[in-house]
Amino acid sequence: MSYIKQVLTVTRWEFGRFFKPKNELIGLFVMLIVFTLFYFGSKLAFSDKSPKITVFLLNDENGAIAEVLKKDFKLQTLPIDQKDQFIKNLSINKEGVLINKNDKSIELYAYKLNNDIKELKGFLDGYQKQVEMQKLGLTADQLSKVLSSAPIEESYVYTENSNKRLVLAFFFAGLMIVAVFLSFAYQFTAITGEKQLKITEQIVSAISPQVWMDGKIFGITLTGMSSMITNSLLITVGTVIFFQFTGTPISKVVDFLNLPLIVLYLPFAILGVLIWNAMLAAIASIITDPNNSGKSGLMMLPILFVMASFFVTHDPDNGFSVFLSWFPLTSATSMPMRWAITEVGVEQLIGSFILLVITFYFLRKIAAKIFRVSILMTGKEPSWSDVYKFIKMK
Amino acid sequence: MQREVLHVKSISKRFSNVQAIKDISFSVEQGDIFAFLGPNGAGKTTTLRILLDIIKADTGQIQWSLNGSANQLPQAAEIGYLPEERGLYLDIPIIKSLIYLASIRGMDKYEAKKAAMEWLEKLELADRAKEKLQVLSKGNQQKIQFIASILHKPAFAILDEPFSGLDPLNQEIFIDFIKEINKQGTTILLSAHQMQLVEKTAHKIFLINKGEVLYNGSLNGIYETYGNKPIIELNFKSGLNLDALNAIGAVEDMEISDHHLVKLTFRQNTDMKLILADLAKLEGVFELSSHKPSLHDIYLNLVKSHSI
Repeated sequence: MSYIKQVLTVTRWEFGRFFKPKNELIGLFVMLIVFTLFYFGSKLAFSDKSPKITVFLLNDENGAIAEVLKKDFKLQTLPIDQKDQFIKNLSINKEGVLINKNDKSIELYAYKLNNDIKELKGFLDGYQKQVEMQKLGLTADQLSKVLSSAPIEESYVYTENSNKRLVLAFFFAGLMIVAVFLSFAYQFTAITGEKQLKITEQIVSAISPQVWMDGKIFGITLTGMSSMITNSLLITVGTVIFFQFTGTPISKVVDFLNLPLIVLYLPFAILGVLIWNAMLAAIASIITDPNNSGKSGLMMLPILFVMASFFVTHDPDNGFSVFLSWFPLTSATSMPMRWAITEVGVEQLIGSFILLVITFYFLRKIAAKIFRVSILMTGKEPSWSDVYKFIKMK
Repeated sequence: MQREVLHVKSISKRFSNVQAIKDISFSVEQGDIFAFLGPNGAGKTTTLRILLDIIKADTGQIQWSLNGSANQLPQAAEIGYLPEERGLYLDIPIIKSLIYLASIRGMDKYEAKKAAMEWLEKLELADRAKEKLQVLSKGNQQKIQFIASILHKPAFAILDEPFSGLDPLNQEIFIDFIKEINKQGTTILLSAHQMQLVEKTAHKIFLINKGEVLYNGSLNGIYETYGNKPIIELNFKSGLNLDALNAIGAVEDMEISDHHLVKLTFRQNTDMKLILADLAKLEGVFELSSHKPSLHDIYLNLVKSHSI
């Protein structure tokens, strides 16, 4: 039986063990329900029909403030002698806002700051500008010119609309984190479970540790990628549906789907997940008791490297970002991210990709060497010096 | 003369400060049921793992010739292995696990399913094929493990402790199965502790202790070599007279149990007349029986004398 046929058999088995279409569908269905409830619930909770706060006006002699606020707030005029009582009662009633207009300022009394008050402050700002304009004798057009930005004529060499591509890159990085978490969970369950169930001897008598390792890496990577694709489709469809409710055309969503970035991202993501799976499998194989092993925390290591990729968004062209986009433990996410927001040469893309392929090739070999010895160690957990010896073994 | 399918020459293995096996050589011929015997820690499982390349020997050579040409390693399809450390996927339907384990040894999925159902039928577990392994009793899990090791019809099966965990009735059934697959052409290397079961099954015996070989030959040969040591078992009505027992000549080994049962093993080819003359001097003998040593007796004698 050829190496490829054996690896395919193990890959199919590992994929079948963990990827359950029925469970994925149930998960998606539950998410859809939660999403719908959340959307309509929040819409209902914050609908425009909900009554606004009542604003009590003091000293608004000519009704100028009332004129500005009347469309959006319930208004009441408060006699001057009730001011102190109103303020005193705020801590008990917790309702209403008192606006007192002085010569130099506008006083605002309320129980606490909330969104309605923020909105109210916006109206008061507008009112105050009108008052100041009148004092200066400025027209609305003149004021607009004073407040406008400097007329800078901008000219850039790199003119791609990188903001939308950056959103997509962030989305992909998020998916990468999902894939790494899934790989972590599945590799951990698969390998420590097999060790505890003592299946290992039966299997390694039939196939080489390298075949088993490769099959596990490919099978669980496939599981992770399948979940990523399922989740991406759900999020895209969900966003389209959401935009339909809000009256935004589908083209707004489609604008974000940058095909070249998707084409670039996929091979990098696949190799990245393969590398992490190789590393996670090696770590899982040296863990004898998952509940008491000090090495379990190492399984979280990949997340740190994926998170490190986000540095690229600060300044994609500085030395550290370039390093991250070449370093094989971060490049799977960092290079597509850099490409999304700055100019990256084809030779950089190819070079970084080749480095990823080479790293994966050797990492799976090292993983199989560790796996070969440690998978049969069910009593004592190998120390780091043991692991170093396993790697050096021929 | 039968064709040699496995030739092991001078293999040794040391684990840090323990010499697991020392300069072991043996060969297995096509069609053999080769019993690999020894007490716990004798080096049996280590040897079996070396044969399957699960661990490497420090020195020595192994040559497999299952398909006619000599190789250092057999093909996965040619070998069946029932490990001492049992384990299968508990949370997966039995039939799925069996098909997977046969397919990684190169068996076609359709054939694997057909063969698995035939074996499950034989072991009266066909109606539970789609159940998860975890719902079966330990004995039935052991049966599934056995099926997994021989489902793909290997040319050579290594069965490490196939009878452990089985009740006497199922032990007898397993003996029949082992004989059946052997008749169908599978050479068997069997490691077991139950000597009465090995006696019923094996053609050849290979006995090791502390990593060293004590016997390597046919089952008949071990009786011819070590089986002429008369054994007398005595049951005393009252207390024992140890001085009288110690005065009996040619006794190689004496075992006393329950303060009244005595088992005397005499030296090789001791004359029965002399034995009877000495026994006649004993008082209070209530029951007496005599028999030739069983494989169990021979095994114990050889291991004890080697351990001294």
